[in-house]
Amino acid sequence: MTEMLLRTEHISKAFIGVQALDDVSVDIKKQSIHCLCGENGSGKSTFVKTISGIYEPDQGKIILNGKEYGRLTPPQAINEGIQVIYQDLSLFPHMTVAENIAINRLRQSGKKIINWKEIYRIAQEQIDRIGVSMDLNATILETSMANRQLTAICRALSMDAKLLFMDEPTSALTRQEVQRLLKIVHELKEQGLSVVFISHKLDEVFEVADEITIFRDGKKIGDFKSDELTERKLAYYMTGREVTYPRYKRSLADDSPLLEVRGLEKKGNYKDISFTVRKGDILGIIGLLGSGRTELALSLFGLNPPDAGEILFEGKPVKINSPSAAKQTGIALLPEDRGSQGLFRERCIRENVSAAMLGEISSKAGFLDREKEASLAEEGVQKLRVRTPSTETVVGSLSGGNQQKCVVAKWISTDPKLFIMDSPTVGIDIGSKAEIYELIQSFAAKGMAIILITDEMEELLANANRVLVFSEGRIAAELDEEDLDKENIGQAISALISGADPEKGEQGDQT
Amino acid sequence: MIRHKIVTGSELILILIIVLYCIIVAVVNPAFWGFETLFDIIRSSSTAIIVALGLLVVMLSGGIDVSFMSIALFGSYTAAYMMITYKIDSLPFAFVVATLIGIILGMINALLVNWLKLPAFIITLGTQNFFHGVMTTFISDKTYGAGVIPESLSRFGSSTIFKVNTEMGVMGLTTSAIPVFLLICLTWFILYRTSIGRGVVALGNSEESAIRSGFDPLKIRLFAYGYIGALAGIMGVIYIAQVNAVYPNKLVGDELMIIAGAVIGGTKITGGSGKILGVVLGILIIYLLNNTLIFLGLSSSWNKLFIGTLLVISVAVTSFQARVKNRKNLIFTE
Repeated sequence: MTEMLLRTEHISKAFIGVQALDDVSVDIKKQSIHCLCGENGSGKSTFVKTISGIYEPDQGKIILNGKEYGRLTPPQAINEGIQVIYQDLSLFPHMTVAENIAINRLRQSGKKIINWKEIYRIAQEQIDRIGVSMDLNATILETSMANRQLTAICRALSMDAKLLFMDEPTSALTRQEVQRLLKIVHELKEQGLSVVFISHKLDEVFEVADEITIFRDGKKIGDFKSDELTERKLAYYMTGREVTYPRYKRSLADDSPLLEVRGLEKKGNYKDISFTVRKGDILGIIGLLGSGRTELALSLFGLNPPDAGEILFEGKPVKINSPSAAKQTGIALLPEDRGSQGLFRERCIRENVSAAMLGEISSKAGFLDREKEASLAEEGVQKLRVRTPSTETVVGSLSGGNQQKCVVAKWISTDPKLFIMDSPTVGIDIGSKAEIYELIQSFAAKGMAIILITDEMEELLANANRVLVFSEGRIAAELDEEDLDKENIGQAISALISGADPEKGEQGDQT
Repeated sequence: MIRHKIVTGSELILILIIVLYCIIVAVVNPAFWGFETLFDIIRSSSTAIIVALGLLVVMLSGGIDVSFMSIALFGSYTAAYMMITYKIDSLPFAFVVATLIGIILGMINALLVNWLKLPAFIITLGTQNFFHGVMTTFISDKTYGAGVIPESLSRFGSSTIFKVNTEMGVMGLTTSAIPVFLLICLTWFILYRTSIGRGVVALGNSEESAIRSGFDPLKIRLFAYGYIGALAGIMGVIYIAQVNAVYPNKLVGDELMIIAGAVIGGTKITGGSGKILGVVLGILIIYLLNNTLIFLGLSSSWNKLFIGTLLVISVAVTSFQARVKNRKNLIFTE
């Protein structure tokens, strides 16, 4: 038998009426990469917090390094070598990378006087250990997302971690940054660590996992070796049903262009961008971070104005220099980061859905028609199948998938002709993903034009009927339906994305 | 390897403004150029710099304090009152009593902020009035003039470190410059060389992260508000010594000027970021304007106009810099 680092036996935990963990027994081996899979609310996070000592289990025991615990306290967990990298990273934005890495270690040492040389020594030691280079003097605010993630990893490592939990570590990273992170995870394993990896992205799970444990509704569905599973099987176990993504085909007869972009250029962002979008098109745009895709989307929505080029909407040249001009033209944008750019998290669904329509549902004197607002929200919730007790529910309390549906509902109520969606399913579980795809496709089938910006090949191929591949601010390739039907098209696109300069991502984040 | 930025962008701008202003004033009125102006500014800004250091610590911790002038008055008035009533003529006694009172009142602020989880601004606005009210109701509300002030205090207030002969007569550098210098060093040491100081900065950056790193927010707040309380006590005694009188209603009301100075110096009102040099420069600019607009032939009513403009410009510059940075990262939240 391989040596066990951590064994949990029959752990249960309930929160007011909800059984978050139900009789869960998991073994985590020494020097292995163990993935936890499950949809939102399936109990993964509760499991992690039980092991890290934040929650006290109602039943069961935890055996760590051969010692048995009924419950762990956070300091005990840390002393046993457990480190958790939370989704929000828990960094200090105005402090330097060096200090962020060393602060926990210094705190633990209990020293009253700070020695900056030691801070830099600890930080340097950890970044050398994972073999990256970072500006230790930069503050976190001046640091790229990928390097923030690495800072959090270094901080965890500095605490002599034996077992490292990573909760959704790749949600904010681009493909290339993810590759680098996964490589680091492998190297940590080589150095003798065990890593518990939690991710919604199944391809990543298969790339790193030795063992996979699947959770559903607080129960453990099973333990698998990663070669015993396929993505399809894994998805089935996670959702309890067969999940298939429908493939979109355009069926509209009207071929006149809705949006024409000619020679659009923005210095430092993108150059020489020309394409057309017809009604009913789902135009997929794929490319690395900084390849110009998000920059272009923002330009079309009136932010980040272009320096040169023409935009024609329904055959007429238009100037879109603000989001409200974009809205009037009939363009909607689902932003990349729904949390900070797309939602009023503390407000209810009704207020979120009506936010872009307040002018239209108000009287001439400027008073809001509450009935119209309520019916607008009701309609949005039904149309998008948002799962919520009522439209008065606060948006922040919904799951990621349902939050995203609220952002979509807000824009759908403005009845846009062109809907730009930037990474619509980031951080959303597979079940909700399929639903969102269905919605996108039904909008397109009814004649809405959609620009879908995505990092995920599967998402691109399931939804787009035409594809633009962005590379270094230019369109590297334009693919139509015929091209997309070819075999191995996914690999071909991947090659196009990164083929131009595979080193770029590695250097790009020395900000 | 280790690179501490001592002078950053915003501080450089402040230095430039000060230099430019001095050149202009000196050209218009050569009488500006002299030790007497310099000594005058140092003397009048010394009390403000001391409390501003404490304010920096509180603002770094993510809080704010508008009660420190009330604390300064409470501590120094009480100390002077005891000295006059019980005929204790000792400078150390004044400092010890005022500092202790300051620490206690500051810690009351900290406890309230920590327990009630309310914005520190509201709580300290409340305690500002409360402390002042307690003092005037239960201790005394009499004014003591130059005749009754203990000699050790008035002697300290008018004493100088050294004297220079100028056209206007003999001018000296106030002894208050010594505590200012020592407290700048102490604050620097606390903020950059001690665990509690880094805890203050960490708490101001993110309370949640600070807790996860093992810091105790209550301890840190007790320290930060206690520290500004202590500095307020010290400042109050120096103030009394300098004006050579004890008034029951001075100081309170001047706290916004100090906050303005800290913000002009680049201290973030949202916490976690700010520098000693910036704060000192911010205060110096205010007192430079206060004391020298007269050389330009401008009445003191121009003061507020200049300080207000400066405050808005400095905050606008900071926010503009952040905006440029955000745009680079394609964040359009404003």
